[in-house]
Amino acid sequence: MKALVLLVLVGCTGDLVEPWQLDHDRIVAVRSTPPRIPAGATAQLDVLVATAGADVTTLAPDSTVVVSPPSLASAMNGATVTAPSEETLATARAELGLDPGAPIPLDVELTANGFTATKTVWLGDTATNPSLDGLEIEDGSPGDDLVLPVKTDVRLAVTADDSVDNVTWLTSCGTMHDFDLSRAYLRIEPADPQAGQLVVVYRGAGGGVSWRIWPVRASE
Amino acid sequence: MSPKTLALALAVMACPRIAEAQEPLPPDVIGTAGRVIDVTGAPVARARIGAEGSDIHATTDANGFYTLSAPLGTTLVVEHDGDEMGIATVTGATLDDVVLRPLDQGETIELHGEKPFEAPGAAVMDRAELERVPGTGGDVVQTLRVMPGVTNIEIPIGLNGIPIRGSSPQDSRVLVDGFEIPMLYHGLVYRSVLPAESIASLDYIPGGFGVENGRATSGIVSITTRPGDEKRSVEGELSVLDGGVLAQGSAGKRTTYLVGMRRSTIDLVLPSLMPSDADLSLTTVPYYYDGQLRIDHRLDDHWRLFLSGIGATDTAEIYTTKDTSEATKRLYAHTAFARVTAGANYHEGAWTANVALSGVVTRFDFAQGTGQVLKATLPNVSPRAEVIHTSEKAAGLTNVEIRAGAEAQVGHYSADIATGNEPREGEAPPPYDPHDMSTTYHGEFWVNDVAQWVSVAGNLDPKIRATVGVRSDELARTGEVQVQPRAQLELLVAPKWIVRASSGAYRRPPEYQSELLQARLDSERASQEIVGVQWEPREGTRVQGSAYYTDRTHLITREMDGTLGNEGRGTTVGAELIATHRMGPWFAWLSYTYAHSRRVDHPGDESRLFSYDQPHNLNAAASWKHGRWTLGGRFQLYSGLPYTPVVGSVFDNDRNIYVPMYGETNSARAPMHHQLDLRVDYTWKWGPTLMTAFADVQNVYLNKSPITTAYSFDYTQSTTVSSLPIIPMVGLKGVL
Repeated sequence: MKALVLLVLVGCTGDLVEPWQLDHDRIVAVRSTPPRIPAGATAQLDVLVATAGADVTTLAPDSTVVVSPPSLASAMNGATVTAPSEETLATARAELGLDPGAPIPLDVELTANGFTATKTVWLGDTATNPSLDGLEIEDGSPGDDLVLPVKTDVRLAVTADDSVDNVTWLTSCGTMHDFDLSRAYLRIEPADPQAGQLVVVYRGAGGGVSWRIWPVRASE
Repeated sequence: MSPKTLALALAVMACPRIAEAQEPLPPDVIGTAGRVIDVTGAPVARARIGAEGSDIHATTDANGFYTLSAPLGTTLVVEHDGDEMGIATVTGATLDDVVLRPLDQGETIELHGEKPFEAPGAAVMDRAELERVPGTGGDVVQTLRVMPGVTNIEIPIGLNGIPIRGSSPQDSRVLVDGFEIPMLYHGLVYRSVLPAESIASLDYIPGGFGVENGRATSGIVSITTRPGDEKRSVEGELSVLDGGVLAQGSAGKRTTYLVGMRRSTIDLVLPSLMPSDADLSLTTVPYYYDGQLRIDHRLDDHWRLFLSGIGATDTAEIYTTKDTSEATKRLYAHTAFARVTAGANYHEGAWTANVALSGVVTRFDFAQGTGQVLKATLPNVSPRAEVIHTSEKAAGLTNVEIRAGAEAQVGHYSADIATGNEPREGEAPPPYDPHDMSTTYHGEFWVNDVAQWVSVAGNLDPKIRATVGVRSDELARTGEVQVQPRAQLELLVAPKWIVRASSGAYRRPPEYQSELLQARLDSERASQEIVGVQWEPREGTRVQGSAYYTDRTHLITREMDGTLGNEGRGTTVGAELIATHRMGPWFAWLSYTYAHSRRVDHPGDESRLFSYDQPHNLNAAASWKHGRWTLGGRFQLYSGLPYTPVVGSVFDNDRNIYVPMYGETNSARAPMHHQLDLRVDYTWKWGPTLMTAFADVQNVYLNKSPITTAYSFDYTQSTTVSSLPIIPMVGLKGVL
């Protein structure tokens, strides 16, 4: 019940920026490619950054540092993560109290465009970032440039299990509804900005991250 | 001619001056006569009868009779000190008897500053006056907010207790008929689970309570439910928050009953307040029920039996999306409890005994998304017995009272929990994360506790009375034996002046929220030192002041590894003043509290402000009763509470949330709040029904004060969530 009361109170604070708003300075997502690497392999970090009044951009982090485990501090060099040898990984597992052969979470803190974020890269394992399957916008597969009707609920969808995966739809054109579900909808009113961007970020259960960016404008 | 008609005729004849002095009457004005009696049938002398809307008035004679002339249909308002108002309608030359019910018969709320207050220290207010404290919506339990020592919080989100004298709400106990209830308020609207009509007395003891009460380190709020009146009646009340009915009467000469039920009405209007474009679906609009039952039976001159029951349930289900099939967006909360208590009171000569057996079942059911869940069932049975012996002299003392008692509780708790850690006092709220399951538990366990107490009170001198006692609590789950000595001294220092001092040890078992999940957590401890003075300059006027110091140890705080420990310490120092004045139609109330409370969470940590630290709290209220109207006003001025400011945030990409970074704990404070509340009641008779309409308006001069701060998802923006500028509440009550 406390949550309900808070919901009502916070619901009355409509002047705060919405989490789906792209027209706002922030880090939108951090990606490691690949998200899980075996001993000796490398991964690259990049950051999706939103800026008020400008398009979103994909940047390399300005700085990176390993937060945990301390024994793997040297695994991070700029935007590159290098998994150490199996022996070093075994030492790290013991440090963290993990079972032999278990993936090791390498917690990285990074900065980009003046903001700070954390990202976990998994060492001693193999995985790739998820693909964005089943993308549909307005009941069809989207092209590279979107022209959407005004005063219409435009359906957005991607294949995902919302109880496990994390999908976020963001825009700088119109109002997003159900922005954190695999099935959302976007509505552009005449008073809204008539052009901007639409972004979907997909975070899989295994730590993988994918995103896609579209320029979007309202139809005349 | 019936005896009554004859008496009325004689009364009219006995007052020839009235008839002689009057001008020729307008056609619809008639001479009429009636009688005013009390509930026993005895005449009420010197009652004032006024014709509404005119200057016509009369006073009853020694036999309760009155005569006057008034137009047909005129409403007569009957007033008499110490009685409730009565109403009659001029329908002919003779009128039915007007029966006045005394204000103090089952209608008295005793508000105790310090224990004991059996002697002249008690602050006594009648329930009708408490119901009319502006800003409370007629909720007697809410009037606790005007008590000195109670932290005043405009919208006490999530609180299910009373923060008293620098303590957390869970440090005080709320008892109904001697046993604790698991929820005091309906969470959505902060409405107590007991309607005012079902309450006989409410004792507020902010500290220094006797050995007969335990399991609390701060204060006691003890509510006694009301036995039904012998006269059968049905009451109904409807307001924008809820509506209910209450019936009472007698069954035979020795048994009375009272049964009531109430249901929320706010859920009928809530959906219309939701913006249509909001991503919300109220699949189960928040609603609540509560019910009360009390049966009293007088077995003989020595034994009285009672059975009381109270239950309440709150339910709500919301989807934060229009799509009600989306389980990840579901928020569900259901709380229910039912307590039944059977008791017997025995009194003969110097001996008094009270025995009771009470059982309660509590159910919590909470779900958020597809992962977070909290299901707990807590049945509990508690026997309690106390024997009191009084004697005029013993061991060199006079007026000696020896009290001994014992109680136990046998509880079996089962829980299925997967949620985030609930923030402890002083901890800043975590970010919203429906996937956080830091607290997980699946299992069941017994909680079996026993307590005994004994105390001796006696007069060392006609002007000095002392009470010493000791209480022992044995807690099976924690393995503790807690011995708590307590003592109190009462001095009549001058006529109308009483000074009291008390000192004692108090314990609270670890049973709040997840504390129960750790078997070897110790009880929290407090020692209280209190000095108070009471002055009654004249009848109807009382001034009480007190100063106190509380030292707390073994406070339960979170350790570095996320578990709970007993490393916290704290102190509270404060002073309180309360003055009440009742004269004729006027009632006035003034209370002021100064308090300062600090905490140290772990050895070596810096001392910090307590989260409910409220240095200043002023309440001034007055009401005026005239005829059918009662007008009241209340002014509040109190300090804002401390809070921990957000100084930044870090984006956690894998959880897709921003984790706030906080400054020093409770290093900022909300601004002082002030508001004026007004209330008006109007009473009239509608057929056989006594009707009362009321309007209770909070914050009439639209002062918007900050309640809390809301942050954007990334904590880069914030906005102040202010109080609603004005909160009107209207209601209607009928007594048949």
